[in-house]
Amino acid sequence: MPERFFKGIRATALAAAAGIALALAVAGADDARAEYGDVVINNFSDAAGMRPVVFPHWFHRIRFRCKVCHADLGFKFQAGGNQINMVKIIDGEFCGACHNGEIAWSVENCNLCHSAKPGTPTQVHESTVQRLVAPGGVQPAPARK
Amino acid sequence: MRTRIALIAALAAGLASGGAYAADGKTVFGSTCVACHGSGIAGAPKLGDAAAWGPRIKTGIPALYNSALNGKAAMPARGGNPSLSDADVKAAVDYMVGSVAGGVRQQGAAAPAKPAEVRPAEKKSAPATAADGRSVYHGTCSGCHTDGKEGSPVLGDRTFWIPRIKAGKDALYASANKGKGKMPPRGGNNALSEADLKAAVDYMVLQAIQSSQTAAAVPAPAAPAAEANTFNRLLRAAGKRNLPPADDGIHDAANDGTHLLQPPAQAFTVFPKSTAGNGVNWVESLSQKKIAPRYDRKDPAAAPVVMDLNIVREVKGSMPDVVYPHKQHTEWLDCSNCHPAIFIPQKGANQISMASIILGQKCGVCHGKVAFPVSECRLCHSKKKETAVSQAGTGK
Ligand code: HEC
Ligand code: HEC
Ligand code: HEC
Ligand code: HEC
Ligand code: HEC
Ligand code: HEC
Ligand code: HEC
Ligand code: HEC
Repeated sequence: MPERFFKGIRATALAAAAGIALALAVAGADDARAEYGDVVINNFSDAAGMRPVVFPHWFHRIRFRCKVCHADLGFKFQAGGNQINMVKIIDGEFCGACHNGEIAWSVENCNLCHSAKPGTPTQVHESTVQRLVAPGGVQPAPARK
Repeated sequence: MRTRIALIAALAAGLASGGAYAADGKTVFGSTCVACHGSGIAGAPKLGDAAAWGPRIKTGIPALYNSALNGKAAMPARGGNPSLSDADVKAAVDYMVGSVAGGVRQQGAAAPAKPAEVRPAEKKSAPATAADGRSVYHGTCSGCHTDGKEGSPVLGDRTFWIPRIKAGKDALYASANKGKGKMPPRGGNNALSEADLKAAVDYMVLQAIQSSQTAAAVPAPAAPAAEANTFNRLLRAAGKRNLPPADDGIHDAANDGTHLLQPPAQAFTVFPKSTAGNGVNWVESLSQKKIAPRYDRKDPAAAPVVMDLNIVREVKGSMPDVVYPHKQHTEWLDCSNCHPAIFIPQKGANQISMASIILGQKCGVCHGKVAFPVSECRLCHSKKKETAVSQAGTGK
């Protein structure tokens, strides 16, 4: 493994790592071992007294190509970046494009989506930066659409 | 590879250990925002760069707060650090704005309201705040919290404080303000302002974090001396993969729905394996038809438009060149998923580096999030260099 490479990484990624490790000290990444790519969405849930939402990528990619959600349905590549809420869902947007009783089970199954431990922050589980430094993780993603 | 990553994390933790939890803007900046705003990575306006900040400041401080809280372009919400409170993020924005306020004013470009907004922020980030928290603590709170009177949590006691800090500082502020259990509102001292109280809580939180700082880099917290020299200090224990939802640390086992979800291991048994990510080789799973993910939401028969075009990116140094295959990508993705938002569709037109990939840009938008992770170097660095032998010598 080339040392130089890691020096390079240190210079840049480390800067990111540096302080975010604070979060490591505070929030303790150690115990959570959820599936790679699980997205927790918690823009509104906690505040509304609902458990945050866990979206399992592994489960959905067995059934759909990325294109269906990220091109056709317009999900931006950013955890928490789509401002999803229940009205949009029952109007057939986002999760509601499928969780409508036709393609997949319908919205009344609140607890299948709202299944995270209360207080779990928005994140992509096991993302590179999360693994490097922080349980919450840095999740930069380009804005799209 | 994991060891290396863990090492980087440890180093990072070391660097951060000078950090503090106090919500002063400078500290928050140094802990999180510096990653991008220090050097201007990904087009982030640099600290102190009046030309970059001037036009943004003109849009108004609330707009800046909003961008920092909710994310903007390549910047994730809260700079990617969800443990920051709103106040922390705002303080960091104030600090950055303060860093150029002089310059902007000289140009006469600042909207009239700005300097006024900046000054209190500068005050807030002054070291005085920390001292205040300490003196408020010693004036009012130490009566109970220093030796645990009335069953109060002792200053610096991590077992008590860390779980509470996790739940968010706002809850702690609220308890200190309203009282809790045997603690009277404002510790019984009604003369204290809200800012005083917050400063005192920040101070208490800081003490708890500092007392646990050394533990932060060590996976087994509070290890007794005998465990100081465990074989793997940083490598995470293997074997805990594809846990059922109820045990995975993110799902709430107290939620009935959690127990209806499919355990990943059950779904993965028939798939070709890999050593990273989900432990599934998704490319092979697809080509061996172990899975048949739909290309259209409703039509199971729709077929993807696959394009077989490899792009070779030469890599300086010892690492093999990168072959970017359109084929495997267009099996899953639409052209518009990458072009033009992530990559200009022209060979060599995009600057890509490992650092940006690790930070979640370029290939890292997907690799390290959903597609196979960065640890799988050779899946990307797959083309042997013609001069590999002579170059390998220089790379060691
Ligand atoms: C298909 C998945 C799914 C189901 C089923 C579902 N939700 Fe949601 N819900 C979401 C997502 C995603 C969000 C956005 C989460 C966030 O940002 O915090 C959300 C947000 C919310 C919010 C906060 C935002 C708002 O719209 O006010 C409430 C409250 C809520 N859901 C209640 C419910 C209730 C009650 C049910 C059952 C009747 C339910 N949800 C079923 C996915 C779902
Ligand atoms: C069934 C729909 C669906 C499918 C299929 C899907 N995704 Fe996603 N993806 C989502 C949702 C939902 C989010 C979270 C968005 C949010 O929080 O607003 C997301 C987020 C992401 C993110 C953002 C992570 C970050 O940086 O914050 C990436 C990258 C991503 N998906 C990649 C993929 C890839 C690659 C595939 C195909 C292998 C894929 N997705 C398939 C629904 C899907
Ligand atoms: C991963 C890189 C990254 C991190 C970490 C980051 N930023 Fe940014 N930030 C950016 C980028 C890129 C932009 C420019 C976005 C644009 O306007 O295109 C930006 C812009 C901003 C702006 C100006 C927004 C506007 O509306 O013009 C503010 C304010 C800001 N960041 C605050 C923060 C704060 C506070 C933190 C730390 C808590 C932080 N940033 C951490 C990348 C980052
Ligand atoms: C009369 C004794 C007493 C004084 C004085 C006192 N506390 Fe407390 N404090 C307690 C007790 C007892 C608890 C535990 C409450 C419980 O969890 O039932 C506590 C808990 C707390 C908590 C944790 C609350 C939570 O949500 O878990 C905070 C924060 C706190 N105190 C801050 C302060 C601050 C700041 C001051 C000074 C301004 C102060 N306390 C003064 C007795 C006191
Ligand atoms: C492209 C269609 C589609 C979209 C969009 C979609 N889902 Fe699904 N989802 C499905 C299908 C199909 C199933 C399987 C349904 C079944 O078992 O009957 C499913 C199942 C699930 C499951 C249960 C997994 C298990 O273990 O059985 C959860 C949780 C879930 N979806 C959450 C979400 C959330 C949250 C969103 C939005 C952020 C979302 N889904 C968006 C199609 C979709
Ligand atoms: C996963 C991301 C991704 C997807 C999806 C993708 N591309 Fe590309 N494309 C790239 C990358 C990376 C390059 C190389 C850019 C560079 O070298 O700077 C590229 C280069 C190109 C080029 C330039 C080739 C040359 O020799 O100059 C064309 C044309 C192109 N893509 C077309 C497409 C089309 C058409 C699709 C859909 C069928 C598509 N791409 C899908 C990532 C993608
Ligand atoms: C928009 C998301 C996305 C982007 C951006 C992206 N990839 Fe991928 N890539 C995928 C997905 C999805 C797969 C399928 C395999 C998986 O999910 O693990 C894949 C597969 C691959 C494979 C095939 C591995 C194999 O086993 O055959 C290579 C090589 C690869 N990517 C390299 C790259 C490189 C290099 C870049 C940047 C120039 C890049 N990818 C950018 C999503 C992406
Ligand atoms: C998702 C694909 C992907 C993976 C996985 C990957 N790389 Fe890279 N790597 C790239 C691309 C793309 C470049 C940029 C090539 C160029 O200059 O055009 C690169 C560049 C590099 C460079 C040259 C210096 C630099 O920063 O640009 C080094 C060294 C390197 N990678 C090492 C590694 C190591 C070590 C690993 C495993 C830990 C790894 N890479 C994993 C895609 C990848």
